[in-house]
Amino acid sequence: MLQAETVRSAKSDRSVWDFVIARHMFRRSISSGLLWGTVFGVFVASSAFSYASVYGTQADKNKLAAAFGANVSTSALFGPGLKINTVTGYTAFHIWLTIAIIGGVWGISTSTKLLRGGEDSGAWELLLAGRTTRRNATAESLLGFTGAVFAAWLVTAAITVGSGRAPQFHVSAGSALFFALTLVSTALMFMAVGALTSQIGASRRQAATYAGWILGASYAIRMVADSGTGLHWLIWVSPLGWVEEFKPLTYPDFLPLVPVLCFTVAVGGISVVLAARRDLGGAILGDRSHAMAHFALLESTFRLAIRTLRPVLVTWGSAVTLTGLLLGYVAYTAGQTLSNSSLNGIYAKLGASGAGVKVFLGVSFIVLAVMVAFAALGQVAAIRLEEAEGRLEQLLSQPVTRTRWLAGRLGIAVADLFALGILGGTAAWVGVAFESNAVSFASLFAAGLNVVAPALCIFGAAILTYGVLPRATAVVGYGLFAWSLLVEFIGGIGAMNKWLFDTSLFHHMAVSPTVPPNVTSDLSMMAIGLIAATIGCVAFSRRDIQGR
Amino acid sequence: MGDPAILTAGLSKSYGPVRALSDLSLEIQPGEVFGFLGPNGAGKTTTIRLLLGLIRPTAGRAAIFGLDCHRQVVAVHARVSYLPGDAGLWPSLTGEETLHLLGKVHGRVDLVYRDQLVKRFNLDVSQKVRTYSKGNRQKVVLVASLMSRPDLMILDEPTNGLDPIMEHEFRGCIQEAKERGQTVFLSSHILSEVEALCDRMGILREGHLIEIGTLSQMRHLSALTIEVTFEDEPPDLSGLSGVSLSRVEGHKLIFHLSGSVKELLELLGRYNVTGIISREPSLEELFLSLYGESEPVGEDEGVAS
Ligand SMILES: Nc1ncnc2c1ncn2[C@@H]1O[C@H](COP(=O)(O)OP(=O)(O)OP(=O)(O)O)[C@@H](O)[C@H]1O
Ligand SMILES: [Mg+2]
Repeated sequence: MLQAETVRSAKSDRSVWDFVIARHMFRRSISSGLLWGTVFGVFVASSAFSYASVYGTQADKNKLAAAFGANVSTSALFGPGLKINTVTGYTAFHIWLTIAIIGGVWGISTSTKLLRGGEDSGAWELLLAGRTTRRNATAESLLGFTGAVFAAWLVTAAITVGSGRAPQFHVSAGSALFFALTLVSTALMFMAVGALTSQIGASRRQAATYAGWILGASYAIRMVADSGTGLHWLIWVSPLGWVEEFKPLTYPDFLPLVPVLCFTVAVGGISVVLAARRDLGGAILGDRSHAMAHFALLESTFRLAIRTLRPVLVTWGSAVTLTGLLLGYVAYTAGQTLSNSSLNGIYAKLGASGAGVKVFLGVSFIVLAVMVAFAALGQVAAIRLEEAEGRLEQLLSQPVTRTRWLAGRLGIAVADLFALGILGGTAAWVGVAFESNAVSFASLFAAGLNVVAPALCIFGAAILTYGVLPRATAVVGYGLFAWSLLVEFIGGIGAMNKWLFDTSLFHHMAVSPTVPPNVTSDLSMMAIGLIAATIGCVAFSRRDIQGR
Repeated sequence: MGDPAILTAGLSKSYGPVRALSDLSLEIQPGEVFGFLGPNGAGKTTTIRLLLGLIRPTAGRAAIFGLDCHRQVVAVHARVSYLPGDAGLWPSLTGEETLHLLGKVHGRVDLVYRDQLVKRFNLDVSQKVRTYSKGNRQKVVLVASLMSRPDLMILDEPTNGLDPIMEHEFRGCIQEAKERGQTVFLSSHILSEVEALCDRMGILREGHLIEIGTLSQMRHLSALTIEVTFEDEPPDLSGLSGVSLSRVEGHKLIFHLSGSVKELLELLGRYNVTGIISREPSLEELFLSLYGESEPVGEDEGVAS
């Protein structure tokens, strides 16, 4: 009797499977899961309804399909357009890649933050202390993340099923569920990838970078596969390729579920094994622990900020440039089909100058606006992190005023936002110029500056929050951003109260280059942003420095 | 004559309902090494962050070398170095890069002394901060706060994480700083360190300064520990004024005495006393007695009289 007791307790000592960590990780990732699930669902509905209303006649739909169907470059960039003369086919084609990539980024950022980031900050050590082994803890974490992906799937599916009942969209519940599943599958796979690179990299940033490369490589591989060079089999080597092969809503295929699930389980399994083998805080591909000293940019707090932000600045700069190039490059093809269609009528009412290329770019530039706003929030988050992690205390105990430090950071951020806008606009112009000279440089340059306005406004609001209530910075900043994005998407479907629609900052941005930027509204948003940032700066110089 | 190195008057800080520091009035002269003691959460770090202008006082004011800690931060910081209790560093910089950065931002560094310190603390400066152990990270901030040879060093638990050899090295550095006339404000939990280094010390409890003075001044406030060995059964001394906590071990009587020893000696004269040991309380005993812990009665390191 007694012996049995002892044996059992010894056994449970070795491996505690009480799912405390799984629940903890689920709680930490569920809110972003619900948020992105909602965004995905709304994105599906908004695409479907806007396509249905814009391409009103079957002739328009056929023209669009003819332009994209045979186009190798768009098929390489966005995947083959299947049945894009139908609402469902177009919707699947239009959104799958964007959502797959956002889902992948979400997966990577969640798992690297909670696993590697938790290790970097010491939270993981507390979580582990005495309770369980690292192997079990990692496995439980993956279980928790899977729960969050499942929640995202439920939300996306609910919105898709709901909107699928509308006669314009008309999707059966079963197809809607499958479609939503394909949309969140990248998130699932890349949560596992993030867990793996968390074991390999030496810091969260490194883990996220490695995982980002894997996402990028899988995009590049499927791009080659779809480039019409007879290498289509390569599609089966790429996680994004599997997602593409699901062909939901058109020629649905369950077979890719096999590689998706095998990949997730295998990658997750390897990370669990590696977690058990490696030291806490250690790394498999350790980065160099020793380095030659480089004193460049270590002369003042301002230059230090440039040095530490350099990788972020370069990453956003390249991402925006690449996006601008791609948008510009496909704009000509897409615009061709629009120029003679009923679409012109709609935009003529808004004062559009006519060219279909501009119409396409006007609709697409929201992507750049979102990216620039995201970069702005990243800058604010970096400012707050410097304080939360105690580095600011180190700087502000030197003969440096707070205003000077913050003004320097604000200067870098604002300059970066303008640079991103200009890069995006210019790159789009270069992209268009490959095919035609339909759009002038001036109008795309102006459209690039146009996307800076809402970003600057969100930035100002976030800095104001930072000055007054530093611990609420992220919540307010990302909240305002997500709200604006959501309202913009839903408002795009139509049927929204005008006052509510006005609460989206993106709604106040003119649809440039389709129409010229609304200078008054842009300058107002910029002025509000700058004034808010200034007030935030003053408030910051009068408040307590606050750690986590 | 000159301005005090640190002067606070009625300095208070509340975090909502929590009174982290109440009405602190303190004056520290240039050249002093001042120890700042108190249990966890007593308000030591709060005081230090107020002195540096990192947080704003709810009431009262503080000045360093006559300069206001809030309105003249830049002038104050030019003469001060700070070692944070919980230092945050840039993980991607190496130790050397970090020291270079902090030196440049401060503006005044004795480079020869810095290199000497790096050697003395046996610090590998080519390593990235991310990969430093806790003690090595502490060495980086320690070197950073010593290297500018400032007029005032404010150190929050500077030896946290250092091994005994490094701690010894640190004591040497503080001795030298003292000889050069630098002022040191040292918050610490290591009582032997404070006892060895500090001219004066203050003890904080729940935000209130409850004791301040030199160690010998503080000892006068406290009781002597006395052990008397008798040939026969020890007598009852509890009637004597100033005697407390007596304990009998065979023929040995152990008790605390505060106040005059005259009465005691007269009384003991009437008995056959074979030995007597009296010793002053260590800082540790003082510290513990101030917090109402049961007072330990030491057995060794006695001083025969
Ligand atoms: N930002 C804050 N918000 C709320 N309360 C705080 C904050 N900072 C400190 N406190 C509280 O103020 C009191 C004093 O804290 P302080 O950090 O000054 O203590 P300490 O003496 O340095 O302790 P330790 O020896 O543990 O370092 C504590 O009760 C603490 O909880
Ligand atoms: Mg402290």
